[in-house]
Order: sequence, then structure tokens, then C-alpha cells
Amino acid sequence: MNDLATTVFVVDDELSVRQALVRLLRLARLNVAAFSSAEAFLECYDPGTPGCLVLDLAMPGLNGLELQEALTGRGSSLPIIFLTGHGDLPSGVMAMKRGAVDFLTKPADANDLIETVRGAIEKDRVTRQTRAELTEIQRRFATLTPREHEVLCQVVCGKLNKQIAADLGTTEKTIKVHRARVMEKAKVGSLAELVMLAQRARILPCQPT
Amino acid sequence: MSWVAIVWSMTVWACLTLAILHLVIWFKQTRQFAYLLFSVIGASVAAIALCELLALRAQSPEQFGRLVWWAHLPAFSAVVSIVGFVRLYFRAGRLWLGYAACGLRLLDLIMNFFSAPNLNYKEIAGLRHLTVFGGETISVAKGLENPWIKVSELSSLFLLLFVVDASVTLWRRGQRAERRRAVVVGGCVILFILMAAGHPALIEAGLIQSPCLISLSFLAIVGAMGYELSLDVVRAEQLARRLQASETALRESEQNMSLAASAAELAMWTWDVTRDEIWTTDKGRALLGFAKPDKITFEYFLTALHPEDRETVRQSVTNALNGFGEYESEFRVVLPGGQTRWISGRGRVEFDGGKPVRMRGVLFDVTPRKLAEERFRLVVEAAPNAMIMVDAEGKIDLTNAQVESVFGYTRQELVGHPLEILVPERLRDRHSEHRSGYFADPKAHAMVAGRELFGRRKDGSEVPIEISLNPIRTSEAPFALASIVDITERRRAELKAARQRNELAHLSRAALLGELSGSLAHELNQPLSAILFNAQAAQLLLRQDAAHPDELQEILGEIVEENKRAGEVIRRLRALLRKGETQLEPLHINEVVNSVLKLMRSDLVNQHVAVRAELAPDLPVVDGDGIQIQQVLLNLVVNGCDAMAEVEPIERRLLVCTAKLTDGREVSVSVADRGCGIPPDKMERIFEPFFTTKTHGMGLGLAVCRTIISAHGGKLWVTNNAGRGATFQFTLPANARAAE
Repeated sequence: MNDLATTVFVVDDELSVRQALVRLLRLARLNVAAFSSAEAFLECYDPGTPGCLVLDLAMPGLNGLELQEALTGRGSSLPIIFLTGHGDLPSGVMAMKRGAVDFLTKPADANDLIETVRGAIEKDRVTRQTRAELTEIQRRFATLTPREHEVLCQVVCGKLNKQIAADLGTTEKTIKVHRARVMEKAKVGSLAELVMLAQRARILPCQPT
Repeated sequence: MSWVAIVWSMTVWACLTLAILHLVIWFKQTRQFAYLLFSVIGASVAAIALCELLALRAQSPEQFGRLVWWAHLPAFSAVVSIVGFVRLYFRAGRLWLGYAACGLRLLDLIMNFFSAPNLNYKEIAGLRHLTVFGGETISVAKGLENPWIKVSELSSLFLLLFVVDASVTLWRRGQRAERRRAVVVGGCVILFILMAAGHPALIEAGLIQSPCLISLSFLAIVGAMGYELSLDVVRAEQLARRLQASETALRESEQNMSLAASAAELAMWTWDVTRDEIWTTDKGRALLGFAKPDKITFEYFLTALHPEDRETVRQSVTNALNGFGEYESEFRVVLPGGQTRWISGRGRVEFDGGKPVRMRGVLFDVTPRKLAEERFRLVVEAAPNAMIMVDAEGKIDLTNAQVESVFGYTRQELVGHPLEILVPERLRDRHSEHRSGYFADPKAHAMVAGRELFGRRKDGSEVPIEISLNPIRTSEAPFALASIVDITERRRAELKAARQRNELAHLSRAALLGELSGSLAHELNQPLSAILFNAQAAQLLLRQDAAHPDELQEILGEIVEENKRAGEVIRRLRALLRKGETQLEPLHINEVVNSVLKLMRSDLVNQHVAVRAELAPDLPVVDGDGIQIQQVLLNLVVNGCDAMAEVEPIERRLLVCTAKLTDGREVSVSVADRGCGIPPDKMERIFEPFFTTKTHGMGLGLAVCRTIISAHGGKLWVTNNAGRGATFQFTLPANARAAE
């Protein structure tokens, strides 16, 4: 991940607060993009851009919660840090339930904010990385033929080749070939590795019959 | 019987009759001495005639001489009486002539007294018997004439001169009656004297053969006097008739007067001061309650009066008698039945040589008027307000008990004094102007329009009052009746109500701000956040090595700006939370609207309410308490937002309009929402206290709003919109002075 592309998005309708935020975050050596409304942000937002969102809760037009909803709807995992004028508890609970990183009350301490922003960026980075790995694993498993997929399920269950062959009504030798193809496609060298990948890719072992 | 005897006897009787007649007249009019003198003349002539008759029949010279001697006595009295009569009757004649005649005649009498046989004859030799007309025989003396008889003749001459002189003088006076009197009486007297004096002379001279006939000539006087007398009788009759006529007229005028008097219910009276006797008409007796036969003296009259009034009446009468001349008073009469009657008495004193002799006047019953006055006084007295009646000069004429309690003056200290003593010194000049203006065009009205009125108590303190004036026109002069209400209590109650209203407004405001607290905190937090971020950014900047003075400058500038903004928010909040008296100041209503929208901005944002303000330019300034007007607008905006809570966010629109109404005399502000509107049966109830449609809230907001707007002289009402929602609207009167 390129550190420069990581962006802190700031959405606040209040010019003075927005400017102060931008200034602060830049001095914290962060890349900042500021918007005066949720709509303006949505127009420019590229979900591929890593980073986080510092969002004012109360705004004319779409408010903070609605923007969060809209982003979730688009499948974005951009971490959101809410800034709000006063402790509006129900809004805060709602925001946290929907996966907000934090909920800061104005006037928030700058150090806390920067800390939170950094944490959020890291979280985003991890999320994005995990998601990329999973995608890779799934891509690998996706190349398996149905027979190979069946064999994989049996292998993950810890069955021996002989048992698998019996279950599938084939020879042990054939199973061996399939198994080697699976290992090759999953780019793993050991059975343990294969089991781990299969688990991350949520490939469930077959039920013993 | 011989004719001589008849003629002379008749003469005697005629003269005696005249004498007695005039004596009787004189007895009736003792002052008229002319009648007495004429009576004496008559008697004297009768005596002379008697002497003559006897002399004519004398049988001897002695007898004849004796009769002539006696005849001098009545002749004397006749002359003296004639002089006196002419003098009195003619009021003319030179006195010395009369005195001379009388004196000579007195001398004649005295000389006659000492003469024998008499003054006419030295001696009478004998009697001649003459036969005259009708065969009558009369006696005439034959003898020597006494030379001293000239005295008698001289006396007659003077008498003649005197009468002629008197007659001429009378004639010259030139009046018809007097000329006639001069001619008739004077002429006859002259004739008589001429005859009486001339006849004996003729006899003496022997020119005629006749006896001495003085008495017959007197018949001329009898005729003259008879004529005069008849004229007097005629005149008396005329006078009597005229008198009767004038008496009739007098009686008529008296009747008219008494008719008028009785029609006017007047009783006439006369008081003979010297005899202390009062005469009055029946009406007067009835008024005073006197029985008919009573003799009324002044003191007795006083007993009829109410004891309290006696002294004043006595004083008033005394003043009149002591030279003032006019008497007028009103007094009470206590009737035998015990009731009281008010009488007005007037009179005038008649003086004789500076001494009061008589007083005449009238009495009339003024009880109804007095009762009306009394009733008026009682009504005024019973009035719940302080009542003051003032004349055109501003003198207090009448007050009631309430005046004493309001102003602390007693009645005696007020009546007759100028009204201005009840006006605070600082307002006195203006007050007398108002008063003159009022009497120029007196109308009933209340003196409250736009003015605070104050009265001044006896102790100098001021009392807030309300006055209403009523003109009272009496026959005497115009008056003004002022009804005064002490409004100290009302003022106090008003102040208390205002204080309570302020208190309530404040409470309601505090509650409203409580509702808006989130929004308000937001308003405050925004600048505070900006300040904190900026300050910490500056710290970060300083921690980094490189110096960035420009950026620091910028950061500090923004901190200052935001600080000011936060201060402004706090100031506004403080103002809204302030608890104080209503303070009127010129307000620009558009500024108030903007200020409220600013304060509510975040709330509106939170509730997705889009506000549009259509503010009319060039609005007149209004007088108002800025905070309270803000409160009203806040309330209306909050209500509008609440009304749209159930509406789709995209539909939540609020329109705030300001406008000029009624040619700029009013300013209106309206807040239109797009909520569900107000059910018609609740249109008015929503302004009642503790009525609310919200689940939270005290239901005071709109009630307080209406109170506030009413206190500003405006109106607040609601109408449902044609489309959807409701519009709340209020008006405020424009400040005419500070119009921009």
C-alpha cells in the first residue's frame, strides 16, 4: 500500500471547523481531503482510496449517519470517526453499531483525534490487506474443478486417500492426483497450510456420513 | 209776613248754613283753615244781617243805635276772616295791606266800643220810617254822622286794595282755574266791599233812600262761594271718579300681581320696622306655618325658623337694615307637623331720612330645589369615586368624602380653593391650560388617553389617578364634575401582573432554551472546536522545528474570530435567559428574524427543516422587547419544526415572512410550516395555558407568546394553509416616531 495515497477525508459543513481540522491533520503529516457536505464527498469518493473519514454528525442535507449508511450500501469499509457537537447518545450508539471507529465530542482533543485517525488508517490498511488476501485465496480455490473441490473438502476433514477414494467410488491413485492438483492450485506445500487457507476461505469440511 | 223779613232771614240762614257747612268741612280737614275762615265770614255776615233786620224794624233810635253798635263786632270778624281767607285761598296778596285793613278795623271796633251811640253816628235824632217797594215800612236813623267812621271806611279801602292786589296776582299766575277764582271770588269780595262801603256813603249823602244793606251784598259772595263750592263738588266728583278708576287699575294691578305671585308660588310680606309688625299674605302664613290670627313680630317670625338658621337670618336682616338695603337668605322652617321646609326670602328696605322704616319682600318655597340639591349632594357623596365639582375659574365648589380619603384634605380646606392645589406642582401650568380649554368646549370625556395623571396629596406625595370629566350646565354658571379614581392599587396590580408575565415569559423561555439546548450547545461547540483544533495545530507547528510565522498568524487570527463568535453566542444566550423587566427599544424585525434563525440553525439542520426567509425591505421600526419578540419567534419556529416531525424530510420546509401592514402602521411576521395543520376546534385552544398537542412540553409556549404580543399592542393568531400546514402570524404596531 502506498502511504501517500492514504487520505483522511473531512466532511463538515462548518467552514471554520473544517479549516481547523484540515490544518491540524496536515500538520500531523496526513493527506487530507475536505468536503462541505456529504453529497459533495460522495460525488468524489473512490472506494479504492485507503484512509479514513472524519465526519460531522449534523449537517444540512445528508447528515453523518445517512452518509455512513450510504457508504455501507456501496460496500465501502472506510473507517468513520464521528465528530459531534454534543453527546447525542442515541446517535452515537447507532453510529458505533454500524461500525464507526470512534465517536468524538466537540471540542475534541487534537491529539486524541490524530491518534484515532491514525488508528483508523491502520485499521483500514489491515482490512484492505485481509480482504486482498482472502480475495487471492478465493481466486485460487475458484480455479478448482468440482471433483477437486470435493477432494479438498474430504482432505480438510482429515480423511485418508483410501477413505476418500472409497467415498467417491474411485481409486486411491486418482485421489492422489487430485490432491496434488489442489495443493498446486492453492499454492501450498503442506496439508496444514491447505487446511488454514480453506478455513480462511470459509470452505467447510464435509460432514462424516 | 213782609218780604224784608223773608229776605233778611233767608240771608241769615243762608250765611249760617254756609258757615256751618264749612265748619263741618273744616272739622273733617282741620288743616284747611280757609274753610274755618270762610265759616267765620259766613257767621259774621249772618250776625250783620240779623242786626240789619232788627235795625230795619227798630222802634226807637236807641234800639237802632244799639244794633248798629253791635254790628261792628261781626264786621271786624268778617274783615279779619276775609283777609285770612283770601290769603289762604289765593296764596297771594300783600300782607301789609291785609294787616292795615285788620288793624284799622280793630281800631274801629275799639273806637266803636267807646262811642255812643256808635261809631257811625254822633247822635241819632230819631227814626224815619220809609215806605219801600211792596208797601213795606223800614226804619232809618236820622242823626249826625260820626267823623271817626272814616277809620272804618279806610279799613274797607285797604281791604279792597288787598283783595284787588291778591286777585291781580292770582290772575297773573295765569292758570285757568286760578284766573277764574280770581275773577269770581276776588270780584265778588271786591263787589261786596264796594257795596258794603259805598251803600252807607250813598245813604249818608242822601242820594238814596234805603236802609244800610251790607248783608245783602254778601249774597254775592255766597253766590260766588256757592259757585266755587259747586265747582269743588264737581271737581271732587271728578277726582272721585278718577280715583275710582285709578283704584280699579291699582286693584287690577294688585290682583295681577297677586295672581303672578300665587302663580309663582310667591308670598309677599311687609315689615313695619318701627312698629315691628309683619304683614304677609295667606300664602306667606302658610309657608311659615303661622295660624291666621297671630300677630307677627320679627322675633316671632324667627321662632318659626330652624334653630340653626335663626342667627344667619338675623344677621342678614341686620345687614340690610344697617344700610345694605337688600336682604336675601335661605332658611329652613320647621312646620308644626315636624317637617322641614326650605324657604328663600328676599326683601328691600325702605328708608326714611336714612332710618329704616319698612321692609318689603317675597318668600318662596325652595324645598323641591333644595331636595334636588340635597339629592345631588347625596349622590355625589355616595359615589364610589372621588368627585370634585369645579367652576370655570377652577374653584372647587363641591367635594365628597372619597376626595378626603384620596387627597387627605378636609372638605373645608378644599371648597372655595383653586383646584390646582390637588395638582402636582410640576403639572400645574399645563393643568390650568387644560382647564381653560375644557370650559371653552365642555364635553364628557375621560382624561386618560396616553397620559399618566397624578394628583397631589396634602402631604405632598403624588397619587396616580384616572379622571373623567362631565360638564354640568346650571342656570348660574358652567361647572365641571370630575370623577377621580385612585389607581394606586390598580397600578400595583398591573405591575404585579407585568412582573408575573415577565416571570412566566422567562420560565417559558428557559424551558424553550432547554428544548433547544442541543442546538445551542452545538452553536457554542462549533467555535470552541475550531479554537481547540487551531490552538493544538499551532502547538504541533511549534513542536516541529521549522518556523512558520505566517501560518501561526493565520491560526491565531482564526482563534480570535472563533472566540468572538463563541462570545456572541453566550451573550445571546445570556440575554435570552436574563430575567428582567420588559424593556421597549426600537427593533428592526428582520434582524430579530435573522438572529433567531441563526440561533436555531443546527436544530433546523438536525431536523432536516429547510428554512426560507422572505424579509420585506424598508420595514418600519417597532417598539418592543427584543428578547421577548425573539422568544415568540423561537417558539413559532420550534413549533413549526415539531409540526413537521412526521413529514418526509424532503417536505420539511418552513417559510418565515415579514411584511408591512395597514400603510406601514403595523409590521407582521408569519411562520408557515408544512405539517399537518391544526384541527379547527383547537385553533383557539392552542393559545390557552397548559394546552398542548405535544407529548412533551408544558403547554405554555403559545399562551406566553400571545401574552407577550398583546402586551406589545399586537395580535397573534393562526390559520391553516390552503395546501398543508399552518401559518402562525403576529403583528406589532410600528413606531411612528422612529420610522426609517
